[in-house]
Amino acid sequence: MQKVGWDEVSAGTILDSFSQEVDNSALVRPEDRPYADTNSYTASVADWRVLKPVYNRDICIDCQNCWVFCPDTSIISRDKKMIGIDYDHCKGCGVCVEVCPTNPKSLLMFAEQDDNEEALSQWPEKKKKGE
Amino acid sequence: MAEKMELKEVEVWDGNMAYAQAMRQAQIDVVAAYPITPSTPTVQNYSKFLADGYVDGEFVMVESEHGAMSGCIGAAAAGGRVATATSSQGYALMMETLYQASGMRLPIVLGVVNRAIAAPLNVNGDHSDMYMGRDSGWIHVATYNPQEAYDMILCAFKIGEHMDVRLPVQVHQDGFISSHTAQNVRPLQDEDAYDFVGEYQEKNAMLDFTKPVTYGAQTEEDWHFEHKAKQQKALMDSRPVIDEVFEEFEKRTGRKYNRVETYMMDDADIAIVALGTTVESARAAAQIMREEKGIKVGVVSPRVFRPFPYEKMQEALANVKAVATMDRSAPGGTVGMLFNELSGALINTDKRPVLTNYIYGLGGRDMTIENLKTIIEETNANAEAGKLTVPTQQFSGLRGPKLSFF
Amino acid sequence: MSKTIKNLKQFSTANERFEGAHLLCPGCAHSMIVRELMNCTEDNLVLSTNTGCLEVSTAVYPYTSWDSSWIHIGFENAATAVAGAEAMYNAKKRKGTLPNPDAPVKFVAFGGDGSTYDIGFQWLSGAVERGHDFTYICLDNEVYANTGGQRSSSTPIGASTTTSPAGRVSYGEKKMKKDIVGIMGAHGAPYVAQVAPNKWKDMVKKLQKSLETEGPCFINAMSACTTEWKFDPKDTISVSDVAVDSLVFPLYEIIDGKELNITYRPKNILPVRDYLGIQGRFKHLFKPENQHVIEQWQKDVDARWEYLQRREEARV
Repeated sequence: MQKVGWDEVSAGTILDSFSQEVDNSALVRPEDRPYADTNSYTASVADWRVLKPVYNRDICIDCQNCWVFCPDTSIISRDKKMIGIDYDHCKGCGVCVEVCPTNPKSLLMFAEQDDNEEALSQWPEKKKKGE
Repeated sequence: MAEKMELKEVEVWDGNMAYAQAMRQAQIDVVAAYPITPSTPTVQNYSKFLADGYVDGEFVMVESEHGAMSGCIGAAAAGGRVATATSSQGYALMMETLYQASGMRLPIVLGVVNRAIAAPLNVNGDHSDMYMGRDSGWIHVATYNPQEAYDMILCAFKIGEHMDVRLPVQVHQDGFISSHTAQNVRPLQDEDAYDFVGEYQEKNAMLDFTKPVTYGAQTEEDWHFEHKAKQQKALMDSRPVIDEVFEEFEKRTGRKYNRVETYMMDDADIAIVALGTTVESARAAAQIMREEKGIKVGVVSPRVFRPFPYEKMQEALANVKAVATMDRSAPGGTVGMLFNELSGALINTDKRPVLTNYIYGLGGRDMTIENLKTIIEETNANAEAGKLTVPTQQFSGLRGPKLSFF
Repeated sequence: MSKTIKNLKQFSTANERFEGAHLLCPGCAHSMIVRELMNCTEDNLVLSTNTGCLEVSTAVYPYTSWDSSWIHIGFENAATAVAGAEAMYNAKKRKGTLPNPDAPVKFVAFGGDGSTYDIGFQWLSGAVERGHDFTYICLDNEVYANTGGQRSSSTPIGASTTTSPAGRVSYGEKKMKKDIVGIMGAHGAPYVAQVAPNKWKDMVKKLQKSLETEGPCFINAMSACTTEWKFDPKDTISVSDVAVDSLVFPLYEIIDGKELNITYRPKNILPVRDYLGIQGRFKHLFKPENQHVIEQWQKDVDARWEYLQRREEARV
C-alpha cells in the first residue's frame, strides 16, 4: 500500500476489513467479499518462500488435512474439494506435504523457481510397503 | 428505562457527588471502575444510583485501575458512552492505557480527583497525577469546586464525543478540598442535562458487525510519526469545539467557561497563574492585596491545559510585567510545569514578563492567603524592578530553611 | 449457534475469516488454532489479543488479517478489553441501541503464555471471576517468542531459552510449568479445557463448547513453536502429535471447576524422551550429566497423568 501523509492515514490507526458493508463474512466466500486495501488478503508473502508446495489433483482424495492444518489460509477448498494453493499467501512451510496421507503424496515441495507443470511430470510413483 | 431523579434547584454536593451525578445524567453505557481515595465516593455514589434504578448502563467493578481503563477502552471501541474515575496511584497504574485510549481516538471521560503520588504515601490533594498524565494525548480540563466539576463532566462528553474531536477527556478536581467539601451546586434537571450532552454517536463501533474494524494496529518507523501527527492535529483542532461547547453550556445555564479563565486582569500589572482550588484562594488574595496594598494583581488559570491555550495565555498576560506560576507537584529536578509552559508561551512576546515559580501544597498542604500575599508581594517587587528579585523557583509553605533554586 | 462439524470435508466448507499474508512464522501453530476458532462458528465475533506473536503479526499497519472486529490494547489486558466490549453489548442490548440487534455474537480473547500465565494473569483472573460471557484462548508456546525466546512461567523444566539458557553449569529452565488449566478450573469457570491443534476434532469440539457455554471459558491451546522449540517448520503437526501421545500435553476439560474429563487417551504412550529429542531447546538434556532432568520430566508427566485420571474418577 502506498505510504500516505499524516492527513491521509486513518484516525486512531483503525483498519477496515472490508470496503463495503458485509452482513456476515462467515457466510460470504472470499471471492465474493469486498476486501479493503487494508485487508492482508490483498497483500502477498510469496517472497518468503524458498520452496513451494505443488499440488497433484490426480492423486488427491480431498481429505482436507492440508486445509485444516495450513497456517496461512493458503489451501483453497470449495464444496469439499481441494482446488488449489494460494501462492500469494503460502510461505512454503511444508506442513501440507507432511500431513498429506496419500501414496504418493498429492502435495510435494519443489524449488520456488521450478515450473509447476514440470514438477507434475516428475511426480514419484506409489511407494511399496517397507520402502 | 432508568428512573429520573428529581433534583433541587440548589443541591449541596461534594465534588465526588458532582462527578457521579453528571455521570448518571449522561446515561453512560459502561462504567468500568476501581475505587481509590479520594475518588472512591464517585464510584460508590454511582453504584448506589445503579442499585436504586437510576442507571441503565453496565457497571463493571474491575480488579485494578489498569483494568478499569482497559475495560473502558474495550467498551468504547465496541461503540458507546464510557466513563470512569480515579486518583493518584490508580492514575499511575492506568498510565499505559491512557496513551492507548487517546491513540485509538476513543472519547472516554475520566473524572480525576487529584492526589499526591507516593513515595511517601499520601492520600491528599496535589497535582502529581495530573502532571504525570498531561502528555498522554487527552484533553485536560481543570476545575476549582464541585459546581465546576459537575459542569465540566457534562461538557467533557460533548467535547470528546464530538465527531470532529473523538478524543478522551479528563476532568480534574482537587482531592478533599473539592472532592469532599460539600458546597452549593446548581444542577440541570435530568432531561436538560441529557439533552445538552446528546445521544452517543457511533464511529468505528466493533459491535457494528457489518463493518469489522481493527483497533490497536502496530505502526513502526514508516507509519508511526504520521499517526502521532494526526493525533496532535486532532487535539489542537478540538479548541474551537471546546469553545462552542462552553458557549452552548452558557446559553443553558448562564455559567460561562473559557479555555483560559482570567480574574481582575483588565488593569493588572502582575498575575498569578495556578490550577485547581488554589485559583479561588489566589482570587481572594488578589482582592485583598488590591484593597490593602493597591497592588494591581490578577489571576489567570488554564481551564483547559491540554490542548494548551498558548495564544490565549499570551493574550491574557500580554500587559503584565511579572508572573508567578504556581505548581502543586514535585518538579522532579527542574522548574514546574506551569513555569515551563508559560516560559514557552511568553518567550516570543514583546513584553516578556519576569517569571517565577512557586512549588506549593504538596501532599495536601494548605495554600494559605498569607503565603499568597507573600507571593504577590514578591511578584510585585519583580515587576517594579523589571527583573528577578527572588530566586526563580521557591518552595512556599515549607518548614525548615528556605528552599529555592535557579 | 455453532454449526455441526462431522468431518474435515464438511469443515473445509467454512469461509475463512482469518486472512493470509499475516506475518506469523512459516509453520506457526497459532494461526492453525485461530483459523479453527473462526471457522467453527458462523456467529459474529468480537476479538481481542494481548501483545505477542499473534498480535504483532496480524495487525501491522496498513494491513489487518482479521475479518471480524478485533482490538489490541496492551500486553496484559485482552481479557478486560473484550469484557468491556461484552459489557457494552449488554448495555446496548438492554437500551435497544445495538447496531445489529438480532445478530448473534461471541466474544473471544487471545493471549500467548507470557501474557496469560505471567503479565496478564490478573486481568484474566478478574474477567473470569466477574463472569463475563467470553472465551479466553491461551496460545501456549511456553516462551516469550515474540521478543526473542525468553522464559515464561509456562516454560518447562530443562528448556533452554534466552533468559534460562543451558550452559556449562546449567541445564536451562529449573521449574516445571505452571498449571494454568488447574488454576483457571479453580476459578469455577463453567468450561476450561486443554487442546492441541493436531487433534483438530477434539479442539473444534472444545472451542464450540466454550463458545456455546454462557460465562467465562478458558482454553489452553498447545502451540508448537518452530522458532523457539527449534524444529523444522514442516514438523509442527508431527511434534504436536508426539506432545499429546507422550502426555506432555494431555487433552482434557474441566466443567464448572469440578468434573474433569480426559478427552484423548493415546493408544501407545510415548516416552517423554521422544518428545524432548525432536526439539533443539532440549538438545543439551541428552548429555550424560543432564539425564536426571529427563528422568524428572518423565516422573512429572507420569504423576500429572495419574492425577488427571484420579480427578476424572473422583468426579469432584
